Amino acid sequence: MLKTIIAREFLNNILDLRFIVGLVLCVIITVACTIILSHDYGKELADYNIRVNLQDDFLSNYATRGRISGMVPHQKPPERFRPLIIGISGNENSKSFDDNPLPILFPSLDFLFIVTIIMSLLAILFSYDAITGERQRGTLRLVIANSISRTTILFGKLVGGAASLLIPFILSLLLGVLYINLNPNIQWDGLAWVELVLLTVASITFIMLFYLLGLMVSTFSRYSATSILSCLFLWVLLILVIPNVCPYISAQLRRVPSIRETERQSEEIGQAYDEVHQQRRKQVVNKFRSAYGGLFSKLESLGFGRILDDEIDDREKVGGLAAADPQFRTMVDAFRHELDQVSSEVRGAERQEVDKLWGDLNTKVAAQTKLAKNLACISPLANFVYVARDLTGTGLRSLQYFEKTKSEYRKLFWRYVSKKVEDARKNDPTFRRDTFLDLSDYSRFEFKEEALRGKLGEVLPYWGILVLFNVVFFVAAFAGFMRYDVR
Amino acid sequence: MLMSIIRKEILSNLLSYKFSIITILSTILILVSILVMYGDYLLAMDNHDILRKESSDHSGIIPPTPLGIFAKGLDDNLCRPWELQGVGVGISSEQQKSLNNLFKLFTAPDLLYIIKVILSLCAMLFAFDMVSGEKETGTLRQALSYRLKRPILIVGKWIGGFTSFILPFFIAVLLGTIFVTLSPMVDINAQDWTKLGLFILSSVIYLAIFFSLGLLISCLTHRSSTSLVISLFVWTILVFLIPNLGNILACQFIQIPTAQQLDLKRKQIMNRVRFEMKQIPKTRPDYEKRLKELQFRTIKEGDQLDEDYRNRINRLVKVSQSITGLSPAPAFTLLATDIMGTGVAEERRLKKAAQDYKDFLVKLYYIDGTLDEESEQPKFHYQRSSVKDILSQGGLSNSLILILLNVLFFSGAYVAFLRYDVR
Repeated sequence: MLKTIIAREFLNNILDLRFIVGLVLCVIITVACTIILSHDYGKELADYNIRVNLQDDFLSNYATRGRISGMVPHQKPPERFRPLIIGISGNENSKSFDDNPLPILFPSLDFLFIVTIIMSLLAILFSYDAITGERQRGTLRLVIANSISRTTILFGKLVGGAASLLIPFILSLLLGVLYINLNPNIQWDGLAWVELVLLTVASITFIMLFYLLGLMVSTFSRYSATSILSCLFLWVLLILVIPNVCPYISAQLRRVPSIRETERQSEEIGQAYDEVHQQRRKQVVNKFRSAYGGLFSKLESLGFGRILDDEIDDREKVGGLAAADPQFRTMVDAFRHELDQVSSEVRGAERQEVDKLWGDLNTKVAAQTKLAKNLACISPLANFVYVARDLTGTGLRSLQYFEKTKSEYRKLFWRYVSKKVEDARKNDPTFRRDTFLDLSDYSRFEFKEEALRGKLGEVLPYWGILVLFNVVFFVAAFAGFMRYDVR
Repeated sequence: MLMSIIRKEILSNLLSYKFSIITILSTILILVSILVMYGDYLLAMDNHDILRKESSDHSGIIPPTPLGIFAKGLDDNLCRPWELQGVGVGISSEQQKSLNNLFKLFTAPDLLYIIKVILSLCAMLFAFDMVSGEKETGTLRQALSYRLKRPILIVGKWIGGFTSFILPFFIAVLLGTIFVTLSPMVDINAQDWTKLGLFILSSVIYLAIFFSLGLLISCLTHRSSTSLVISLFVWTILVFLIPNLGNILACQFIQIPTAQQLDLKRKQIMNRVRFEMKQIPKTRPDYEKRLKELQFRTIKEGDQLDEDYRNRINRLVKVSQSITGLSPAPAFTLLATDIMGTGVAEERRLKKAAQDYKDFLVKLYYIDGTLDEESEQPKFHYQRSSVKDILSQGGLSNSLILILLNVLFFSGAYVAFLRYDVR
């Protein structure tokens, strides 16, 4: 009997206007989106290559110790899921006054939009009158008059409705993926296909949630008109309101210190430690002056030969004197050692204080973001967005992962540059901050997506919430239907 | 007779479940939105005060507008502190919101968003069964069996229905505006009041489009369930699909490099110039002159790069506007944000003002020679667009699109109702 109900529900749905409109809309939008976004992916890849070349050009022509800091070569390539989902990296780290304002006013169209707006709305349209419609037409009474349990009817409606609802989604996704597969510019590895399967399953969890929501509301309503209004009311709250309001509410509840204020405090700490540094160095100079007398005056007359200040260029003369006089050399070495010790002590303390200041800011930011994220979990849309974005490397976690990889690369790159500077100093006594450095053999930055295990660890709790929503709505629908007055 | 129909329509709406749910939803949302965005405005003002104190020569920062509470638009972008650099204009401090990445995932829930997305849906839900629903209940046949003319009935239905829909909106907006106005932290001047009035007027026109469209669909169908399905799909297409698709489609026609690439190109110019500067021997008698010439040339090269980029962005906005011309949502978004001084036109104007300021300083320093490092630098001053500027910057064309769509959909509904089979 269950099969008959499923088949009847399925047939009824696919012959209905909403199925045809939904199918046409889904297929057209998904295919159009995939074609456009795949083309965008190609353009972004070209833009990425231009950026890499520009940095290479800089490093091979103008790399000096003083100018490298702004040009460390770590560009982010476009995400591999860019043909389906637009990432949020956009103008990340750009300090440009000029950028495209349109994405702020009109969020772009992608697979996430299709699932969260079109499919969720379609799911509600498929189920809002599953029970009320049949009651109004009188068919529910006739069916129940036979020896069919209410559980069988509800299951039949659930399975038959879900099967007809998922046809437009699966078909359009398959067409989109087929285009991606045929596009020679897009090369997906095995992991990407696994992620796509997981994304599809997560999307189905999300779509089913709204189907069950419609079914639940239908079992608690007497008329289809009431049911659709209640469904749309809930849909608007869950999809359009709660996720958008939460970041703003969390910003009010958990205030974050101003970035500029923190920068200013950090600069003040730097200035205070500069003074301390200067005083400590003076103490060292006085100590050596009284300990070595005339010998130290010789070093002072040469402006300390680059020991105190980079700008004074009497390094060779000091070197010559040190080579000729072992006592002078011992003094210079001791002097340099003591200055280095003072510098490392003072700068270490400064760094500790500055790190504490920024650490405090980062902790507060993390608390604000966490609160916003948790608040938004009331909405299935937010949970689905976290799952879909984090699984496909187009979300916040991917940004953090990129930052982490970038910072590791920066460390390696600076170690490499320091070594190059050291070698250059050894080979060239006249080496300065603006002397050209040969960095032709630097190791290129290659960003690799995070492993699936890490991503799954992040998304499973949110996926779990989606499943929980499904269970709650189903149980409520079940309870509602068991008590439903079919007359 | 018209008055009776209007009264009947208003009364039947007031007593319906639909009215209660839509009124509760829209009132709560409008008030929550204004409260949330008011809090956001206060945070932005705090941040602005800190940044303004820190601002140096060759830099600029404009305060957030209180009208951003109603339509945030690009205000976060507009209020970033910027400074003139050797090449281009750069942002001197990160945006406060850049810290919490979650802001990037979701849209600002301002009044503009509520009207554009949620109230437009409510307008369609109000109108979708005005004709088909009455046909199903049989009351339409009865009404027309009297000496009641169809034009009067449809006009009465429109006026009565729209009045009962728009009244709760007015009350909620009024309450929100009173709350904002009474706050000592918000300073709204006469010009802002005019802009707010225009914004509400354009919102009413925009909502009337969706109401007329709902009525048109209702007049074209014979069952309210069919009318509902079509209304929801049309709403999705007009509010989400066309505007968002228009944006990505426009990018296919205009090639725009990313802002990161632009940054790198600027850095490349700077690096090359620094290298060239080192090549000029300091001992040369004309060292200063040659240095200045080189700097001047660099600035011009950077300006060329920026101008090219801005022209492309402007073309992109135009193409996007042309593509999305069929939908009322983009026209309303552009019009509302332009009216409130947080739109694309304002952003373009600010960028132009920053460029003019740069050109002015460059002229004083490099051409006239009346400005040097020691002398006091002229400050950057900026006033957001007046109502007259807004209308001339494209506001008028967007208003016309909205009015035209209104007329089109209402005429459609009118004609369809005249031909409607009430049996």
